Amino acid sequence: MYGYVRPCKGELKVREYELFKARYCGLCHALKKGYGPFARFLVNYDFTFLSMLLQSPEESEQICSKRCPVSPFRKKSCCVQTEALSAAADGSVLLGWWKLRDSASDKGFFRGIPYRTAALLFTPAMRRAAKRRPELSSKIKDLLDELGGIENSQLASLDAPADCFGRLLSSFSVFVSADDAAPLGQLLYHIGRWVYIIDALDDIEEDAGSGSYNPLILRFKADKSGLSEEDRQYVSVTLKHSAAIAAAAFELMKKNEWTSILSNIIYLGLPETAERVFAGTWDANKKEK
Amino acid sequence: MNGDPYSILGVSSNASDEEIKKAYRDLARKYHPDNYHDNPLAHLAQEKMKEINEAYDAIQRMRGASGGASGQYNNSSSGSYRSSSPAWAARVRAAINSGDLSGAEQMLNSAPERNAEWYFLMGSLYYRKGWLDDARQYYQTAVNMEPNNSEYRQALNFMQRGGNYYSPYDYDRSNNNGMDACNCCGNLLLADCCCECLGGDLISCC
Repeated sequence: MYGYVRPCKGELKVREYELFKARYCGLCHALKKGYGPFARFLVNYDFTFLSMLLQSPEESEQICSKRCPVSPFRKKSCCVQTEALSAAADGSVLLGWWKLRDSASDKGFFRGIPYRTAALLFTPAMRRAAKRRPELSSKIKDLLDELGGIENSQLASLDAPADCFGRLLSSFSVFVSADDAAPLGQLLYHIGRWVYIIDALDDIEEDAGSGSYNPLILRFKADKSGLSEEDRQYVSVTLKHSAAIAAAAFELMKKNEWTSILSNIIYLGLPETAERVFAGTWDANKKEK
Repeated sequence: MNGDPYSILGVSSNASDEEIKKAYRDLARKYHPDNYHDNPLAHLAQEKMKEINEAYDAIQRMRGASGGASGQYNNSSSGSYRSSSPAWAARVRAAINSGDLSGAEQMLNSAPERNAEWYFLMGSLYYRKGWLDDARQYYQTAVNMEPNNSEYRQALNFMQRGGNYYSPYDYDRSNNNGMDACNCCGNLLLADCCCECLGGDLISCC
């Protein structure tokens, strides 16, 4: 579910790449500050992307230098805490915790142990996040319950579960001004839909083998060999369509300091990820930072 | 139009006419109504288009150019209406266009008949909700039931293309070693050399 929304590194200016890394570090620090050192494991590109979207154009961006456990000898550039980073950190914790709970129940008793353990460790953090953002927390829980219901019912629909995830992500649009809320809501809905479908596509062979729920398998009656060429083309078109609607919504938002990086992610990053997932080379790519 | 027309177009006040025209064209491509087809945010894009057109016209007037080239991007794409639509279908269309999706859904669920137009309107409703896969399937059924209806066919074609995709990154970033003019010419010269070595002559002037 995580990591699909990332920039096309090769097309970022060096300055933009450094800024993006600083933002990622900023999210990591926001997680540590709000939820303790272990919450840093929840840092991800997707909520880094969200934190850039939520950044108010009125708030000026500041970069500082911070120590990093991953790079103990060299200090790293890091974005100073803003409301947007704080909201993204809260979202990472809430969504991360509920996803761990879901995975724990999906995997059965023994294979679910690491997930249940992690969820247990993060429970105090989750409670703190739920206290900070009670409406968001209950909305995420309700939508994930709804999603779980659809998955259990084995409904042969691609849109129904994707819609749940889209609405979940879309609920983060409360963090921006009234002018930007409608376009951001649509952007996040379609990014959420895109992520859900790409994740299903990435997992299709594994799910076919283990008999796990996968909306693409049900919708296209696929088996272990994956989707037919025609169905792959169909899925590619619907992914491009969601990305196009998300992009059109993005253009209606107010510009901020992150606009050029966000543009890269939306117009170049998403197609690059999709290409790699379709080619089956996504997992190999994830290892490069 | 709020603000300075030059900053609306994203150019400096001493930009050349060519640069201004290019900036206008790029913005018009970005906010073109086709990119916001059947989109609840279409009115926002229309406002942006209006602002851009006004800014371009203002600059043209300031620079004393004859007439504005704007206006060519003014047309908004509105759907064509069948004059023989039953009343319930017209009410559903109105509901969808005004954003009352739950109202439209209720009317469709209690519609007196499930004809091609019913499937087309379901497609339209589901498209607005963001359920692109279901929308495409409904449009497909509508086209199957009434293959000669251009409105339904256009909607299906739109879904089959994956909507209108605009990208500010227009240049070819692919690493494919395709046959471009340089490759083609170079390869022909090489072929000519080899041919001549073997006693023939592919290109007589080289």
